[in-house]
Amino acid sequence: MAPLVEIENLRKEFGNVRALDGVSFEVQAGEWIAIMGPSGSGKTTLINILGGLDTPTSGRAVVDGTDLARLDEAGLTRFRAEKIGFVFQQFYLVPYLTALENVMLAQYFHSTTDEREARGELERVGLGDRLHHLPGELSGGEQQRVAVARALINQPKLILADEPTGNLDEANEQTVLELLRELHKEGHTILIVTHAPEIGLLVDRRVELAHGRLARSPTAFR
Amino acid sequence: MRGNRGRMAVALLAVVSGATVISALLDLQFDIEHQLTQQFRLLGANVVISRPRLTQTPTLDSPQPPSEILDAPALMDQPLVLRQVEKLPMADVAAAAPFFYIVAHAANTPVVVAGTWLDQIPGLEPTWRIDGRWVTARDDEADCLIGRRVARQFALVPGSSLDVQYLDRRAQVRVAGVIDAGGTEDSQIFVSLPIAQKLAGQSGGAQIELVQISVRGTSATIDRYTAQLAAALPGYEVRPIQAVSRAEGNLLDRTRLLIALMVALILVLTALCVLATMAALAMERRKDVGLMKALGGSISRIVSLFLAEVGSLGAAGGLIGSVLGVALARWMGQRVFGALIHPRWDIFPLTIALMVGVALAGALPLRLLGKVKPAVILRGE
Repeated sequence: MAPLVEIENLRKEFGNVRALDGVSFEVQAGEWIAIMGPSGSGKTTLINILGGLDTPTSGRAVVDGTDLARLDEAGLTRFRAEKIGFVFQQFYLVPYLTALENVMLAQYFHSTTDEREARGELERVGLGDRLHHLPGELSGGEQQRVAVARALINQPKLILADEPTGNLDEANEQTVLELLRELHKEGHTILIVTHAPEIGLLVDRRVELAHGRLARSPTAFR
Repeated sequence: MRGNRGRMAVALLAVVSGATVISALLDLQFDIEHQLTQQFRLLGANVVISRPRLTQTPTLDSPQPPSEILDAPALMDQPLVLRQVEKLPMADVAAAAPFFYIVAHAANTPVVVAGTWLDQIPGLEPTWRIDGRWVTARDDEADCLIGRRVARQFALVPGSSLDVQYLDRRAQVRVAGVIDAGGTEDSQIFVSLPIAQKLAGQSGGAQIELVQISVRGTSATIDRYTAQLAAALPGYEVRPIQAVSRAEGNLLDRTRLLIALMVALILVLTALCVLATMAALAMERRKDVGLMKALGGSISRIVSLFLAEVGSLGAAGGLIGSVLGVALARWMGQRVFGALIHPRWDIFPLTIALMVGVALAGALPLRLLGKVKPAVILRGE
C-alpha cells in the first residue's frame, strides 16, 4: 500500500538559514508519528510544509498522492481544507465565535455548515455542555478539545498537531493525549510535534530532527 | 459584529449619522417640490387669459385709452371665458377673477379703475396687506378697495366715500380697505366688475380684458392647465406667468442640485469613515484571517464573511438612520418651510441600499487580507 505521506530530500531555506536539509521519510495511513527535536530543529517547518502552509525550497512532499510542490496558493488552500486537520499549541480559536461556531467555521471553509454534525463532534470531545461558550469562557484544555473537534470535523486524511499539549496543565494534557490516542485507535493518521519524551513513548514511531536533518532513522516502538 | 465592538460601534455611528442626514435630505428632496409650490402659490396668480395684443394692465403712464372699449379684439366675452375656467377642476384653482380696466377720474384726477371679483383678491394676491377689510361678497357693488397711493392722494381712509367718473357716467363707492401691494396696484381703485363695466357703458353681453387664475400645483400642473385652457379658448392667449414659473423651476433645480451634492458628499464622508475603521479592523484581524486561511479558508470565503458583517452594519445603520431621518426631516421642514414634511416610506429602502453600498465600498481595505500568510501569522510574526 502506498504511504500516506512521502517526504523525499526535503529542503527549506529562510534566507541564509536552512531550516530543513534533505529530510526523507514516509508515513503509512493510520500511523501515529511523533516529530521530536530541540527548538530550531525544523519540526514546525516540516509540519507547515506537510500542512500546505509553507512550500519547500526543494525536494518532494506528497500527501495522499498530492505533490504539494505542484500546488499554487489556491490549490494549497483547498488541500488544507480537504485533507488536513490542524491542532496548534496556542489553540488559535476565533475569540468572538462560540465553540460550536469555531467548529462550523472549518465546515464553512470545507463545504457547507452542518450544526448537528458540529455539535456531535464537540460532544465526542466531551464539550456537549459548552457549545455556546466563547473561547475566553473555556479552560485551556477545553479550548484545545474544541481545536481537536475543529480539526476532525471535515474527516481529514492527516492530523497535524504542533505541540498540542504545550500550553496545558498535566490534567488537561492527559485529556488531550487520551483524545489523540482514541483518534489513533479509530484509524486516524497523526503527526504530532512534541518536546515531551513521555508523548514520544505513546506513538508508533518517532522522527527526530536536529539542525534540519534527521538525527537518526525513524524509530519504531511498536 | 462580536469582535472589535468598539470599532464596529464607531463605524455604525458613522453610517447612522450619514443615513440620518441623507434620509432627511431625500425626504426634503421629494417633498420640497410640494413645499416650494405652496410657497410660490403665495405669490398669487400664475395663469392669465387675455386677447393676444393685451400684454399689460394699463397705467397712468401708458393708459389704455378709452378706445379699448371700441377696440373689440382687446376684450373677451366674459360668459364664454368664465365658462371654460369653471370647467377646470376647481379643487386645483385657489382663486380666479376676471378684470376690466378703465382710466376714470376721481376728483378730476385720472386714476386706473379695475373692475373685478373683489372676493377673489385675497386668494389671487396673498402678499397684499390691507388696512381695513377685504370685500367678501362678489355682488357687493357698494364697496371698493384702493391702493395706498390713491388713499394718500385723495386723503381716503377705510369708510370714506369715493366718486368715480368715466365720461358722463358716475359711480359712488365706499372704501372697504386700503391695500399695500408694493407695485402699480397701489395706484389703482378696485371696484366690483359690474360697476366698472357700467361706467364703461357696456350693455348686454359683458366683456372683460383678462382673467387671472391661481392654480395649485407644480409647474407641470400649471402648464397642463394652460394647455387645457388654450385648447378650449382658441383665439385667446392663455399663458403662465413666466417670471414665477421660471423662478420656481430655477429654485427647484438649484435646490435639487444642492441636495444631490450634499448627499454625495455625505456618502463620500461616510465611506471614508467606514474605510478608516475597516483598515484598522483588517489589521487587527490579521491573526484571525491567518488562522482561517490555515483552516482552508479561501480569500473569497473569508472576505465574504467580513463583507456580510459590513453589509449588516450598513443595513442596520441605514434602517436606524432612516427612522431618525424622518424626525430630522420634520424638524428641518418646520425650520425651513414652516410646514410639516411628509416622510416617504420608499426612502427607507433607498437609504438602506445606499448605506449598504457605502459600507461595502468602505470595506475596500479588506483586500489587504489577501496578502496575509498563514504560516507567518501562526509563527506569531
